[in-house]
Amino acid sequence: MPHFAMVIDLNTCVGCNACMAACAMENQSPVWDVQKWRTYVHDKEIGLGSDVNRRFFPRLCNHCDNPPCMSVCPTGATQKKENGIVFVDQDLCMGCRACAMACPYHARVPVTHADMRKGREFYGSDYHRTSPSMDKCSFCDHRVEEGRKPACVETCVGSARMFGDLDDPEDPVAQMVASGAARPLMPHIGTRPNVYYIDDIRWRS
Amino acid sequence: MEVNMTYATQDIWTWWLAIYLYFGGLGAATLAVTFLTDMYLKPSRDLVIWGAGAGVVLLALGSLMLFGHLLDKVAVLTILNPMAMFNQSTAWIAWGTQFIIWMMVWGVLYALPYVRETEFPKKVPVIKDLIDRPFVIGISKLVNRFHRQVGWLAVVNGVGVAVYTGLLLQSFPAVALWHNPAVPLLFTVSAFSTAMAFLLLLMYTLLHEQADESIRVLYERIDLVLIAGELVVLFSLYMYLKNGSESAVRSLELLWNDYGWMVGFIGFGLIVPFFLELKGVMKGWSTRVPIITASVLVLAGGYMLRHYFMYAGVYAYPW
Repeated sequence: MPHFAMVIDLNTCVGCNACMAACAMENQSPVWDVQKWRTYVHDKEIGLGSDVNRRFFPRLCNHCDNPPCMSVCPTGATQKKENGIVFVDQDLCMGCRACAMACPYHARVPVTHADMRKGREFYGSDYHRTSPSMDKCSFCDHRVEEGRKPACVETCVGSARMFGDLDDPEDPVAQMVASGAARPLMPHIGTRPNVYYIDDIRWRS
Repeated sequence: MEVNMTYATQDIWTWWLAIYLYFGGLGAATLAVTFLTDMYLKPSRDLVIWGAGAGVVLLALGSLMLFGHLLDKVAVLTILNPMAMFNQSTAWIAWGTQFIIWMMVWGVLYALPYVRETEFPKKVPVIKDLIDRPFVIGISKLVNRFHRQVGWLAVVNGVGVAVYTGLLLQSFPAVALWHNPAVPLLFTVSAFSTAMAFLLLLMYTLLHEQADESIRVLYERIDLVLIAGELVVLFSLYMYLKNGSESAVRSLELLWNDYGWMVGFIGFGLIVPFFLELKGVMKGWSTRVPIITASVLVLAGGYMLRHYFMYAGVYAYPW
């Protein structure tokens, strides 16, 4: 069984936001509310005076091996597949938002009845959501099951987003993680995340 | 990974969740205290009816706060099933929901024989018809037979609700203010302290004639100890936050630099009632006004604790 993970190279992210658009269209996110996208790219400035750099920092669900959002979910709507993907069963979710409170990565967003009404207008007859729920990145599990990569990875122009199997020693993603070049966010919290970042700051002059 | 951090409070669970936690703790602890008083100190019909009534009404109002904010209200049926507690054994809301439901059920059953003895319900049309039905009379006789067993089932679930309100917040690992062992302790002690204050208020006002002096004195003493305990837990929490992570330090700055927390909650919600009750216990008061004042302040402080706690939780977001 694979153990899926994502590596994000901050050196090559150009902040084009194509990943956000691809994700939104693939997963029919509420694009009318920027707070409700499954992935987003922070645009931050680092430094002082003339020594300022822009940093683009893509964010998404970290598909933790010890996901606090799943521990606190009272209905069992948040589940984890054997391949490591954490997903939400829309029909089980009552939308108490405990998962959003538990998530240290700010990766949970509410999709309301109002969003569904807009979604039906925006996406037309293809709109597949049947009930409101808390939403999150699913690593595009429907695509992964078909052997394809998540939409954000496939569309990334700078190849900043890479997707692979940590249990496959030949996989470049596994190698980057094993080498320590790619590292997780806030590992001290104990969530054991599966999204890793390659630092850009140390390479800046 | 070298990252910069943004520190932010949340606007997901706000005042309405504070009300849920407050009513949950207050209602459940009031029920537990009155039932224990009835079982082991002195049979107290009025206290039991008030305790069960407060438990059911406050828990219902509190639960409505959470229910009203659910995204999909139909899906709540999933956690009404008692098996949800075992299927989602790490989710405190699943446990809390069951504690709330069963506390209400056993609480109403425990109070039923007393309700049937009381004059007031016989004047209320629907209740009058209900309590005179043969099956209700049968249940009432059964409850009388298993009086303590039913009482303990209600008490255990009531204590469960009070503890749950703290465990719920403790289960969020990203926020240092919430994710520490002091929180369930603080919320449980606060729940019982506010329950004592609520009962003292009742006994000094609406139940003034019927109230037993020895029980009243005992409640005052217990509340005094609980307030002292709460201050000790708060001091421990302060020390933990002061030398903790950045999230902890920022929460501490938010709370201890806020007049609402310092003067409102710690000053008027704990220290002033502590001294009012201390004088009452040591030398007594010639009037009931100081204890009524202390009770009102403790009740207001109980809500302020939960309100400020919700708003002062600081997340650390890397970018």
